[in-house]
Amino acid sequence: MRIPGVGLVRRVPVPSVVPLMVRSLTAPVVETVSSYAVVTRDLLDHLADQAIAEVVRRVDLDATVQRLDIEAVLDRIDLTSTVVKRVDLDVLVREVFARVDGEQVMDLVAKVDIDAIAGRLDIEALLDQMDLTDIVLKRVDLVKVVDAVLAQIDLITIANEIIEGVDLPEIIRDSTGSMASETVKGVRMQGIGADQAVDRAIDRLLLRRTRTSSPAGPDGS
Amino acid sequence: MHDEAAAEAAHTRISPIPREARPFQGQRAGLVTRLVAAVLDSLVIGAVLLSGYLGLVGLVFLLHPRSFTFPELGVVFSLAAAFAVAVVYLTVFWTLSGRTYGYLVMGLRVLGHGGRRLRFAGALVRALCVVVAPIGIVWVPLSSNNKSLQDLLLGTRVVYDWEPRATRADAPLDDEAAGDLS
Repeated sequence: MRIPGVGLVRRVPVPSVVPLMVRSLTAPVVETVSSYAVVTRDLLDHLADQAIAEVVRRVDLDATVQRLDIEAVLDRIDLTSTVVKRVDLDVLVREVFARVDGEQVMDLVAKVDIDAIAGRLDIEALLDQMDLTDIVLKRVDLVKVVDAVLAQIDLITIANEIIEGVDLPEIIRDSTGSMASETVKGVRMQGIGADQAVDRAIDRLLLRRTRTSSPAGPDGS
Repeated sequence: MHDEAAAEAAHTRISPIPREARPFQGQRAGLVTRLVAAVLDSLVIGAVLLSGYLGLVGLVFLLHPRSFTFPELGVVFSLAAAFAVAVVYLTVFWTLSGRTYGYLVMGLRVLGHGGRRLRFAGALVRALCVVVAPIGIVWVPLSSNNKSLQDLLLGTRVVYDWEPRATRADAPLDDEAAGDLS
């Protein structure tokens, strides 16, 4: 380290405008004085360097740092803008990713509360932005999906339920049935009704309360 | 309970039976339907006899056209012929499908021991009993379970069965088999 102002001290040449005689008389003195000045400058520089080194050696930087109010210092610094302005974040991120291995990533992921994040997501808005129909048509093997669904469905049972629900046999009878079949149906139903009427009348006459007409009933034989 | 089970079983497949008639399927038929069926069968037997007589007339006419007169058949022969035709008719149809023409029209079926279709011997015996004593049918309304005298004697029954094929008749009814004589 140089002492401020000392660098200005140089050997001073004798100006040419000075008369030769004067120059010849003053030159030795001037040169001698300037030489002493230069030596003195170098000496002062050296002494300053020595003093600084000694000061640095003697100062307890740890104690000095401990006495510092780091928080106050940090409060006075806009670290965010400083980092944004002065740090190449792309490089930093690349370095970070280069140093992080898969297990560390998995550890980090395990610590993240995915449910909480998912709970804050606006799923409806996300879905509104997506053309799900197009995605399904492009990316889903619909044939396999349909085959898998059909494999789990008892189509015969469903078909029977549908046929029962719409009463397909009745529709077929109505569309293809003849007057004869309708007449037979009517005669049969009237016969059943007459059977029941006769049975009820006989039961009343015999004061009988129960009649077993189902095939599971007792034979009584 | 058995009616509900039978109704559910009928619903598990496509049934050609009208919805309003399904609850009666498998139940024992009453007097009226059986009488109507018997009358229809009598008409069929009468038609067969008449056809036989006309055939005989035609044969006689072909053999003796000049001296042709309508053949006079004795009462005994006529009754015997009617008896035979009736027995054969009933036996054949009860054996084949459990139903004669009259039973087919009225949606009835004869079931034998354990709810199975009648075999030839059973059908023959029942036909003989029915033809000999048709009056036995009047016991149907008097019986607590709609059985005629023939049914009581042979352990048979007549049920409503509108199914075109005899699927129901072939299925044994285990819970009833013990009480039948057959």
